[in-house]
Amino acid sequence: MIRSSLIPTKTHFFCGTISILVSLSSCSDEPTVKKSVIASEYTGPVVTWVLPENWGENPALAGPMAGSFHVKTKEGPQGRIGIMPFRESVSSLEVANMFAREIGYGLLDEERLAAFLEKKSLGDREFELIRLEEQRTTEAPKTVLLALHRKDSQTWLFPFIAQSKLIEDELENFCFFLESTVLRAGQEPVKALAPPASPPSSSAPPTPSAPEWSIPTHWAPGQASSMRLASYKVSDEEGNELDFSVTTFPGDVGGLLANVNRWLGQIGLESTDEVGLKQYVSSITIDGMAAQLVEASSTDKTFYAAILKRNNSSWFFKLTGGKNLALKEKENFSEFLDSVCFHKP
Amino acid sequence: MSTESKTKKGQSTLAKRKALFPWLVPLASLRLTLTLLSLSMVLIFIATLEQVEIGIRGAQAKYFESLFGIWHYPIQFWGGEYLNSIPIPIPGGWLLGGLLIMNLTAAYLIRFQWTMKKFGIQLIHLGIIMLLGGQLVTQAIQEESRMQINKGESSNYIERFHGVELALIDVTDPKQETVVSIPQELLEEGGSISSEDLPFRVSVKSFGSNCDFNLVGSKDKRVGVSKEVDQGVGFSANLSIKPKSEDYSSEAMNFGYLVFELTDATGSLGTWLTLSHPAGNHWWKESPKLAGLAFQPIRHKGKLWGLTLRSKREYLPYSIELLGIENEFYQGTETPFNFESDVLINMDGNEGRRALVYMNTPLRHEGKTFYQYQMNKAADYTVFQVIRNPSWLVPYISCIVVSIGLLWQFGFHLVRFLRKNSLQKA
Repeated sequence: MIRSSLIPTKTHFFCGTISILVSLSSCSDEPTVKKSVIASEYTGPVVTWVLPENWGENPALAGPMAGSFHVKTKEGPQGRIGIMPFRESVSSLEVANMFAREIGYGLLDEERLAAFLEKKSLGDREFELIRLEEQRTTEAPKTVLLALHRKDSQTWLFPFIAQSKLIEDELENFCFFLESTVLRAGQEPVKALAPPASPPSSSAPPTPSAPEWSIPTHWAPGQASSMRLASYKVSDEEGNELDFSVTTFPGDVGGLLANVNRWLGQIGLESTDEVGLKQYVSSITIDGMAAQLVEASSTDKTFYAAILKRNNSSWFFKLTGGKNLALKEKENFSEFLDSVCFHKP
Repeated sequence: MSTESKTKKGQSTLAKRKALFPWLVPLASLRLTLTLLSLSMVLIFIATLEQVEIGIRGAQAKYFESLFGIWHYPIQFWGGEYLNSIPIPIPGGWLLGGLLIMNLTAAYLIRFQWTMKKFGIQLIHLGIIMLLGGQLVTQAIQEESRMQINKGESSNYIERFHGVELALIDVTDPKQETVVSIPQELLEEGGSISSEDLPFRVSVKSFGSNCDFNLVGSKDKRVGVSKEVDQGVGFSANLSIKPKSEDYSSEAMNFGYLVFELTDATGSLGTWLTLSHPAGNHWWKESPKLAGLAFQPIRHKGKLWGLTLRSKREYLPYSIELLGIENEFYQGTETPFNFESDVLINMDGNEGRRALVYMNTPLRHEGKTFYQYQMNKAADYTVFQVIRNPSWLVPYISCIVVSIGLLWQFGFHLVRFLRKNSLQKA
């Protein structure tokens, strides 16, 4: 009788059961690591690689490189290997000439370049290999091995600069490395990471087709590299030093803001934005062409840099070092800029 | 059977029920009902006062989503300078709601009689129990998120209003990305987190839901929780972190932070710092030095991973495309009377469903309800508030049950009255 009078419990149990089930379903939603696979939406560049066992990665530095590596040997790290993206397509000749002067070739032309150029298929991709062996007679001759890969109107350069023997020994690893790379240009420029370290070499004078300039007589030749067309040191009696360089790269090398921010960082200043950029940049002319002069000083360091865009290339003339000496040399730097001549037709 | 004998039988049934469930008798007390209802009013009053100080979400968490809350008499009230320091415990929503459900259920089992005369009352109480139970379930499982879509674009994910996750995204494949996300709850637990989907282990060094951060000069050393950081933006921008408690107010700007170490079979890959931006991590791109916080790259075994601390995200099996937006204001004012979003839901197999979402007319799709929440016509984007509430039908069913109960009860008495009246006339 009691049970029959408790008929509502059926309804009650039904509702209760539903509530409990719903509650339980929520309780089972424990926090866990979740994996989702979605359509690609990343718009930045993708540059990855697998390093051979005996290769190491150089610490991240500022510069036009997306990656920088060395070969681990018993004598320590040797050779310089890099990944350098260009946003525009650049010719093999332009790239070869960036390095040819350093090892005594002078300016190459298409005909001479053909002798050093070889096409190689690695995986499903085509690479151009340019091998330039040092022309000067030394005990340990160097080789510049350049690998170029072209994809979607972009050019990817992989320079391998080392003693010729090391390059011979590591050729297989270099090919393995090239094949392992994943290269995808994004909508944003590839983050520049590290310029290759520069080996000591005599400063090559500008070739007839390169611009000419007049260097102040007290500026001494400095450490040159494959990236530098000219390199000078300026010092005073108190031991202060300035470094002067002339470099050129295809394209805009990340643009004005990126370059200025990199230089600001080098003298210990905070990065700026498009608005703040104006306080550092002024307009000048070099050889009758519009250029930009960038000046900035921290408490103890100063740099002056002139940027000229000409024929789809960027030219950088930069003087940097101790603040007091830089102030004294500012006029000489201006005179140097006035002397630059590109021999326009 | 006479009325007297029916009453006697009913009373005897009640007595037997009380004897069978003696422990339910105190719970079924009407006094308890009135006390709980009175305390509920006190709770609502105090939470409303507190809301001014700590915001809606703070008041909700402190008083309604807890067993009890500690209240301090407002200092600006009469005698506040003396009474403010006394902590006053206030019974919370979970406690009062739970006790009310138990009280009603106990009364339902013990006191109510299953007769046609009382059937309406039974239904009314059943409806109220369902309403309370449904609210309890809703509070426990409802999830509120937001979806922002730019005009002409589509979105396939929603983001929680509260809570963050560490997302590690493998972007190497040009066609698809693998997103591995570690929710805030696991980050709060700390320790070492691993997953078969990750090639490295994440060791949490420090996590918090809010912080102050600043760029330390290049010559100064970082101190506190970020001093160990030796990789990524935290290192390059020399970011210093000062943890602080979460702000619950409606204008809150909480910057979550996480310091963690990545390790793989070869050892440590470095210690990283990541910050979540309360308005979305795309805002980091406005700052040249912190732009990388939106995506800090890690190269590992030929793959490019990106990491970011962001609002907890849920990917949907469909995307919603914003075709157009419209907003209308009362003439001569800036008070809106209508926001309208014209959307297209893109599902698998090229299936599409077009819908218009506007005030009080949400879009319901696959268990989620999309309400028009915000809109910026100048910037051409719309924001939906997205609710997932599996028990959303319970309040409707409860109201129907209560309505039937009321109709039954009043109808029953009306019929009896009319019958009695006609008998008297006869």
